[in-house]
Amino acid sequence: MEVQEIKVEIEVNGTFQQLTVAPQTTLLELLREQIGLKGTKQGCGVGQCGACTVLLNGNPVNTCSLLAVQAHGHKVETIESVANQDQLHPLQEAFVAEHAVQCGFCTPGMVMSSIALLKKTSQPKRKEILQAISGNTCRCTGYSKIVKAVEHVVDDRITRITISPDREAVHD
Amino acid sequence: MIDVNIVGDSPPRRESVLKVTGQATYTDDLLIPGMVYGMVVRSPHAHAKVKNINIEVALKVPGVLGILGPEDVPRQNFNCAGSPPSPLLVKDEQILTDHPRHVGDRIAAVVAETRSACEQVIQKIQIEYEILPAVFTVKKAMAADAPLLHPQTTSNNIFKTITANQGDIDQGLAQSEIVFSDVFQLPAVQHVAMEPITCICHFIGKDSLTIWGTTQTPFQERRVLSELLGLPESQIRIIKPFMGGGFGARQQLHNQHIGALLSKAVKRPVKIINTREEEMYASAVRHEVTANLKIGVNRSGLLQAFDAELFFNAGAYGSHSPVVAAAASRKLQYKIPHYRYQGHCVFTNAPVAGAMRGYGNPQLSFAREIMMDRIAKELNMDPVAFRLLNHIKVGEKFPAATDAIQSCAIEDCVQGANRIKLAIDKKAKLQINKSENEINRDWGVAFACHTSGPSSNEGMSGCLMVANDDGSIQLMTGSADIGQGSETTLSQVAAEVLGLTLADVAVTAADTGHTPYDTGTFASSQMYVAGNAVKKAADNLLSRLKLALAEKYDVPMENIVWEKHQFIISKHNKSDELDFKQAIQQVTFHQKGTIIMGSASFKAGASPPPFAVCWAQVAADRYTNSLKVLHVIEAVDVGTAINPKIVSGQVEGGISMGVGYAMMEQVEINHRSQKPISSDLLHYRIPLSTDMPETHVYIAKSYEPTGPLGAKSVGELATVPVAAAIANAVANVLGEPVNKLPFSLQSVPANYRLFTRTGEMEHKEVNDDN
Repeated sequence: MEVQEIKVEIEVNGTFQQLTVAPQTTLLELLREQIGLKGTKQGCGVGQCGACTVLLNGNPVNTCSLLAVQAHGHKVETIESVANQDQLHPLQEAFVAEHAVQCGFCTPGMVMSSIALLKKTSQPKRKEILQAISGNTCRCTGYSKIVKAVEHVVDDRITRITISPDREAVHD
Repeated sequence: MIDVNIVGDSPPRRESVLKVTGQATYTDDLLIPGMVYGMVVRSPHAHAKVKNINIEVALKVPGVLGILGPEDVPRQNFNCAGSPPSPLLVKDEQILTDHPRHVGDRIAAVVAETRSACEQVIQKIQIEYEILPAVFTVKKAMAADAPLLHPQTTSNNIFKTITANQGDIDQGLAQSEIVFSDVFQLPAVQHVAMEPITCICHFIGKDSLTIWGTTQTPFQERRVLSELLGLPESQIRIIKPFMGGGFGARQQLHNQHIGALLSKAVKRPVKIINTREEEMYASAVRHEVTANLKIGVNRSGLLQAFDAELFFNAGAYGSHSPVVAAAASRKLQYKIPHYRYQGHCVFTNAPVAGAMRGYGNPQLSFAREIMMDRIAKELNMDPVAFRLLNHIKVGEKFPAATDAIQSCAIEDCVQGANRIKLAIDKKAKLQINKSENEINRDWGVAFACHTSGPSSNEGMSGCLMVANDDGSIQLMTGSADIGQGSETTLSQVAAEVLGLTLADVAVTAADTGHTPYDTGTFASSQMYVAGNAVKKAADNLLSRLKLALAEKYDVPMENIVWEKHQFIISKHNKSDELDFKQAIQQVTFHQKGTIIMGSASFKAGASPPPFAVCWAQVAADRYTNSLKVLHVIEAVDVGTAINPKIVSGQVEGGISMGVGYAMMEQVEINHRSQKPISSDLLHYRIPLSTDMPETHVYIAKSYEPTGPLGAKSVGELATVPVAAAIANAVANVLGEPVNKLPFSLQSVPANYRLFTRTGEMEHKEVNDDN
């Protein structure tokens, strides 16, 4: 059997990648096996648990159910891109501080779904947070500390936004 | 009393940063040079005989490296359970079988260069089966004409009956003023840990095996594998990398034995990952249980007799079942003079039941707590007051138990939960805007207890603690952190005793090559059993350090005291004060320099029960015929909460599993096609964020004298009362008795609905008093 190979060009975490994949290769396999980004997890392989969530052009997608070729010409952001060197993203900090992480297997996907929400809505309501992570199953936490972590970031942001004009005034 | 410092605080878990950045390495993230993939060929039939296996075509698939069938592997029977050796554990399972007894049973195994090659190989293996009659329920398996699943073990399919007794049950029931009796039905459910079961098995040479894998009980698995493979335990190293949950499912062998044999055959490391479908019906489930319960009580409200007969659907193999049945008998937290317990373990062709969070306790507690509510109602007593009236107190023994309990903060649990409940009710009164006729809501309560370590008191753990020359320490424990946070809490205990920070403690855990024996992560053991070993090892480290200081300062031992994290050394009317790190630095580098190493073995003499009080508020909507859990409050007595946020995290997770058990989860089998329906997470739903009620946690003030710094356990306890509390709320809101799970549309009785299923308004007048 002749193995067909396809060239794809994908921007992964800000790096332009040119790769050759088999037609059936999923984006998850490409990320984990070909590029070696192991942070994205496979929990079910059929798009039902959200552990493999990354951002495709800023939108959360299940990479186990997306072919690598479908990501051709698009921008992919994985959990590895969230922290800035050693500086955690405020959401990651909140996950750590609020104990929103237990076994941690859903965490990368959970963080990516939450980031997608925060990119869209700067001040999401609780209901929107619950909705945004409803495609990410977690069996350990009962979700409450995860929701708290996202709310923590939102509160923090609101505080910063309301404080900053005054600060600027002082500097002036 | 211990000077509480790091303990009682909630520092972030040690590994959280790695987990939020995607750097934590789970088994599937490991790449071992030369690694190839394995896959198990599983039976598509619930009961069959393999007549022939033809691998001729399969061996031509590109990338195939090998195929093993039942004839190619040791045929000796074993028990897969990761429990200490016990006569209760029946050896009835084989690595590969030509007599599959459930869908998913292991027939053969393949090894190939890639996973997709494995899939292609499996498709080309031709297996001829003779299909045999299958039974899925306990009732059918006990019928006279049922197929015998293990004729060598039993003459019927009931392969073990566990009993516990106290007093005289007949007399107790006869002298009770009222006797309540009913049958309760609990479904099989699956753990659905987010990380699938994975192992990498690497045979080096002929007689040395290393396994990286998802395991809660590396030391038990090493022992079973040692017997199966004929290797000394010294030549089997089991390493647990980061692990994505367990909940009991990984307290047993899954694919490690066949993975090891595949590796031996091809002389390369072999990785086997379960698909989610294999997880659902070919790993382990919680026992489906039919519980016949009779409770005798006097009009004064005092319990007289408790007669429980439980039928456990064990599935195709013995596995954990008899131990689960035994454990269920030891969770009765009420004073009852006459107690009889009978737990029957029954073989069926259903998925194999194993260990799952609660280990028999959720099932019996469900039946008991529903009946406790019915009794309170009949006696016109408050459900909480009635339970408290009968509750075990400090210094008293559980029915049929030998030892008295030494801590119990059930009253603080009651009060803590009640304060939260009052606040919710107060707030809700302002918010109700719908007509009472459309949506009714009510509360239900349940009590529970569990165990800290195996209730058979088999818990045992070793700990080694080595001081580095700067006074930081290396802590080596066999205890497996599977996501519950035990490496953090165990570090907190060590840091607390030695007066160090968390960063001063490095943990090496759950690696049979580098850490001492630990019974395993099950029975909510880690805080109590491994925690006691850590506490003892830290004490041992201090006493060795004291000895070295006495030598260094040339003073008698009594001149050195350890107080408030300082050594006070008295010499010639002067005294020196050294903290742990300074003391280590004093004794390490000098003429008589010494390395300070502590060690301890802890064997549990008890398994103190933690307690919980759980309230659930359920709303029943008469337009949509739906039930929704709005609030769950759980107050727990876990002794000292070493890390309160880890405790509340465990409770919240336990609540979500209880909500799933009550509202949606059930491993279903299509009895006509004899195939599992629950093959993925659409056909088996677990609670999503949007399914969850508001959760509220209260941690009672409590101290367990035998616990490390006063701690008991929390993990399993948290989930035990939840389904029962929800059930009692459902019964209260519908005004109908309930006795089975999960609730669904059918749970809303016809006389309660405003609409029929076709959408027509029910003609019947709705009685508002319901």
